[in-house]
Amino acid sequence: MAGPLEQFEIKPLADLSVGGFDVSFTNSALWMVIAAVLVTAFMTLSMRRGALVPGRWQGAAEVMYEFVANMLKDNVGTAGRKYFPFVFTLFMFVLFGNLLGMIPHGFAFTSHIIVTFAMALVIFIGVTIIGFARHGTHYFRMFFPEGAPIATAIILIPIEIISYFSRPFSLAIRLFANMTVGHIMLKVIGGFVGLIGIFGVLPFAMLTGITVLEFGIAALQAYVYTILTCIYLHDAIHMH
Amino acid sequence: MPQFDISSFPSQIFWLAVVFVVLYILMSKIALPKVGDVLERRHKTIEDNLGKARALKDETDAAIARYEAALAEARNAAHDDIREASEKASAQQAAETAAMARKLSEKTSAAEKRIAQAKTTALGSMSEAAADIARDATAKLIGVKVQSKTAENAVAAVIGE
Repeated sequence: MAGPLEQFEIKPLADLSVGGFDVSFTNSALWMVIAAVLVTAFMTLSMRRGALVPGRWQGAAEVMYEFVANMLKDNVGTAGRKYFPFVFTLFMFVLFGNLLGMIPHGFAFTSHIIVTFAMALVIFIGVTIIGFARHGTHYFRMFFPEGAPIATAIILIPIEIISYFSRPFSLAIRLFANMTVGHIMLKVIGGFVGLIGIFGVLPFAMLTGITVLEFGIAALQAYVYTILTCIYLHDAIHMH
Repeated sequence: MPQFDISSFPSQIFWLAVVFVVLYILMSKIALPKVGDVLERRHKTIEDNLGKARALKDETDAAIARYEAALAEARNAAHDDIREASEKASAQQAAETAAMARKLSEKTSAAEKRIAQAKTTALGSMSEAAADIARDATAKLIGVKVQSKTAENAVAAVIGE
């Protein structure tokens, strides 16, 4: 019987080495490629006809487009328009990564902290660059809000700095932990189903409910990851 | 936990970067502009159709206004015609009534004159007859022959009383 952590194992499918680093094509990479292919297929094949009155698939693709576009507009405003392709790619990539993990024998690459952290770090660095590019040194005002009494600086500035630099960690850990815990829970409860004979129906019923819940979490965490990105973008563009 | 196996990190970061960048390029260059175009085109078509509908509605309103103006004008003209006709008719009627009344009064006065003449004639012949009767009566009763002139005078005196 496979342990609950075995599902997260990275297995090389084709060995590859670049500059002394082992960058083998792994099961994780394979599922990233599958996610990218599915996202691309979904967003292009459905729009092939570009009909004025959309069909089912085109309607779905348009819903995703408008969902992310509205998220960006509501949180960042029109200034965020040029970051739309990035935010859209991020949302679709994370969403498909989460959902593909729900397929039996699938692999959730978003359950690996290095993946979520690498994306979070890119977002964090990018947002910081945007902030300094737009506001120059005034961007340091992020750490001491306008109008706060000067005496509070000694407490406020360290708090703001810590909260600012903890952004990539909270972003990365939230997604990684949600995915990992969900998959471990499914595996552990799934293990009980076969172990306790006829009483296995109880964990099986539970498993059914949790599977539904995990689908919801897969979508919700993709949304949370993206909307936090939008909020950081808002801070960088408009300050507080 | 496989998540904390550092040896797998370079591979994951490498493939994440490759796949994400490729997906970003596919989305930003191919997929999203197409969706944006379709949405824009739909928005424009709807706007155009709304504009067209608005223009047609304005046209309809103008036509209705024109129609109503024409209708009001026609109604006024008809009213004028009716009034004119009825005025003419009543004037004519008044004139005819007056002419008829004049003719009738002429006829009445002529008739009255004729009646008066007839009455005088009748009265004249009656007093003649009365004088004759009176002469005959005196001759038979008292044997006196009365001059016809005297009898006439006496009768006239009695009638005149």
